[in-house]
Amino acid sequence: MEFTVSKSDLVRELGLSQGVVEKKTTIPILSNVLIQAEGDRVFLTATDLELGIRCSCPARVKKEGAGTIPARRLLDYVRLLPDADITFKFLENHWASITCGKSKTKIAGMSRESFPELPEMPEQIAEIPYGLLASLIARTYFAISLEESRFTLNGALLLVKPEGVTMVSTDGHRLAFVDQQLADPANKSFRALVPRKAMNEIAKLAAEGTPDQKAHLSSDDNHLFFQFGDRLLITRKLTGNFPDYERVLPKENEHIARMSKAEIRSAIERVAQFADERSRAIRVRFEPGEVRVFSSSVETGESEESVSTEYQGPAMEIGFNAQYLLDFMRAISQDEVAFSLKDEKSAGELQPWLPAGDGTQSQSYRYVVMPMRI
Amino acid sequence: MSSVPTIFHLDMDAFFVSVEELFDPALKGKPVVVGGKAHERGVVSAASYAAREFGVHSAMPLRTAYKLCPQAIFVEGHPDRYRDYSHQVRAILENFTPLIEMASIDEAYLDMTGTGRLLGPPLQCAHALHQAIKDATALNCSIGIATSRLVAKVCSDQAKPNGILWIYPGLEARFLAPLPIRKIPGVGKVTEKNLHAIGIHKVGDLASLDEGVLGQRFGKWGLALAGKARGEDAGGWFDQDIGAHADAKSISHEHTFSIDTSDAELIDSTLTRLSEMVARRLREQGVHARTVQLKLRNRAFETITRARTLARPTQLDIEISRTIRELFRENWKPGAEIRLLGVQLSHFTSEAGQLNLLDSAQDERWREAMRAADHMRDRFGNSAVGLAAGMRGNFRERTHETLIPKPGAKKP
Repeated sequence: MEFTVSKSDLVRELGLSQGVVEKKTTIPILSNVLIQAEGDRVFLTATDLELGIRCSCPARVKKEGAGTIPARRLLDYVRLLPDADITFKFLENHWASITCGKSKTKIAGMSRESFPELPEMPEQIAEIPYGLLASLIARTYFAISLEESRFTLNGALLLVKPEGVTMVSTDGHRLAFVDQQLADPANKSFRALVPRKAMNEIAKLAAEGTPDQKAHLSSDDNHLFFQFGDRLLITRKLTGNFPDYERVLPKENEHIARMSKAEIRSAIERVAQFADERSRAIRVRFEPGEVRVFSSSVETGESEESVSTEYQGPAMEIGFNAQYLLDFMRAISQDEVAFSLKDEKSAGELQPWLPAGDGTQSQSYRYVVMPMRI
Repeated sequence: MSSVPTIFHLDMDAFFVSVEELFDPALKGKPVVVGGKAHERGVVSAASYAAREFGVHSAMPLRTAYKLCPQAIFVEGHPDRYRDYSHQVRAILENFTPLIEMASIDEAYLDMTGTGRLLGPPLQCAHALHQAIKDATALNCSIGIATSRLVAKVCSDQAKPNGILWIYPGLEARFLAPLPIRKIPGVGKVTEKNLHAIGIHKVGDLASLDEGVLGQRFGKWGLALAGKARGEDAGGWFDQDIGAHADAKSISHEHTFSIDTSDAELIDSTLTRLSEMVARRLREQGVHARTVQLKLRNRAFETITRARTLARPTQLDIEISRTIRELFRENWKPGAEIRLLGVQLSHFTSEAGQLNLLDSAQDERWREAMRAADHMRDRFGNSAVGLAAGMRGNFRERTHETLIPKPGAKKP
């Protein structure tokens, strides 16, 4: 195999595979990137067996073929090369000879035979704009459980229906639900659990294009496929049953406090400095016209803030994990939030405040947080 | 990072006597016994090297010491002075590493792992430490260097007086082999006698012995011994990281099987039972634990510990036993024989705090159930656990089906 590529193309595409390549693996080939020269392109494939990515860039291919070399080492080296064309030549012993101007290097590689085959992309189910995918992920990613034992919560539920797409995540303490209409109706309905790591990579790939560009989504029994132009991300689905989220979405939260996001967010940020470091517990007191936030810890001190609100419900004091509230505030772009409540022991719900009839109702974002015992 | 641990054991030489000598130089080189007057009741708390030559040692009745060495100078001792010097020594140690454990007033373990770049290779570092203590206090000490606490301690003993001994990694067993078994920390008069009785005199004899024999003869302690004979930190606090326990509070229960087992059901039931025991103590102390740790010792006496931090602190038997059994599954090759199981809880908080979104109602029921169970145990004793479990019917039985050890299973 022999081909020539531009350094910038190669660095960009290799960079996208780094999140997928296993850093610590017991299977050495998984640290490698598969390089295939075909036609007028060179294809780069990386996988950790859970997640796979296939990128490509234009190349002058002198001789077609394939080989694998350590992905990290290749990127680290290529980055240091001058901005010029790089010529790759794979040798008999699976080593790759890399020439760029006066630089000549040989990197030890491995036969491509042992590199795992990635599944083929089946028929498309839906087209989802990059921007929409990115925003679904940004508004649910943080609520995914990091607790490995709760493996069905280690990702987000993706629901595709003809009329729209829904993403839900929860860690058992809070739940993020985003529902958005699709301009182009999906071909069929389906549901799958997308692993957290895949979501990270999807967000990265979506950020490479413009928000209007459309990613193609498809699925086989075990995998999900996200095609971003010439780049393809394949992830295994998480198996297991996602909790019945509809049961958790509050229906009786009749007391609503509407606040400026900037005010309540910075109030919580400051007060949280004095919350117990481990529990991050703060107290939020809802009173007519006012929301007071306070914290105290034996070790650090105490802090209190007050934010004005349109709240007409009964006075209530509820404990919350400050981090959970801030995660939501940081994920939304709207200026106002609505905090709806039932009582001290039931889940509270946060939503961006959307003035009625301004046309943005095509999307819905609901964030449910359980209180803390205080 | 270097992965081989570098442990120093620093032991002050004849500490009490040496401190006395600082205040009364006339005592130097003479047989000195600290502890009280020769005719008094009481025991020797320290003896100078000169006195030791006559067979005087600490913990010996003063009168016996007098018989062995009537010319010795008997002094009352000055605990305040010893404490003061001990603090001075500790302050110097802190210049070398934060991972210090004062095992007593005159000895300390230091974890020097990874300090090579800063302080130089172990021997050089030990010399610097030795000199720093000499400069600051005018006292001598001995330092043992090894990959385990146990060997480091034996080393410092061998290095005495005023010496430094480094056992190069990998040579631990060879170093220990020719030593009398009594040199192993924890082997006292009784164990020594018992071991002599079966023809074991040197550590090497012990190391070459089949573990099964030791296990049968000396139980859990015998098994720890076998590990120790190979220079491993096995048993009791030797298992702990230096400095780690300083503020770590934990609750743990362990069980050693009378016969090594690979019976998954028996193991499961034991883990559940241990989880129950620790959870009960958790509730008694009114705290919630955030970290659950499994301790596993296999037939080859390899001990591993694996910990998992829970998303939220718990007090519930089911959550602890679920986690501990998960940890076990992940670290056990089916069929491998298990010698010891342990469950440890740590990272306590006073409040569980965060309420659960998905199963809060069930959670509350469990809290109630556990409260009730504890109540019954209080009233009818711990052995009522099985009864209490049975009384809660199918629900409890289903999730706790292995609660009651099967016939033949040894109670933890």
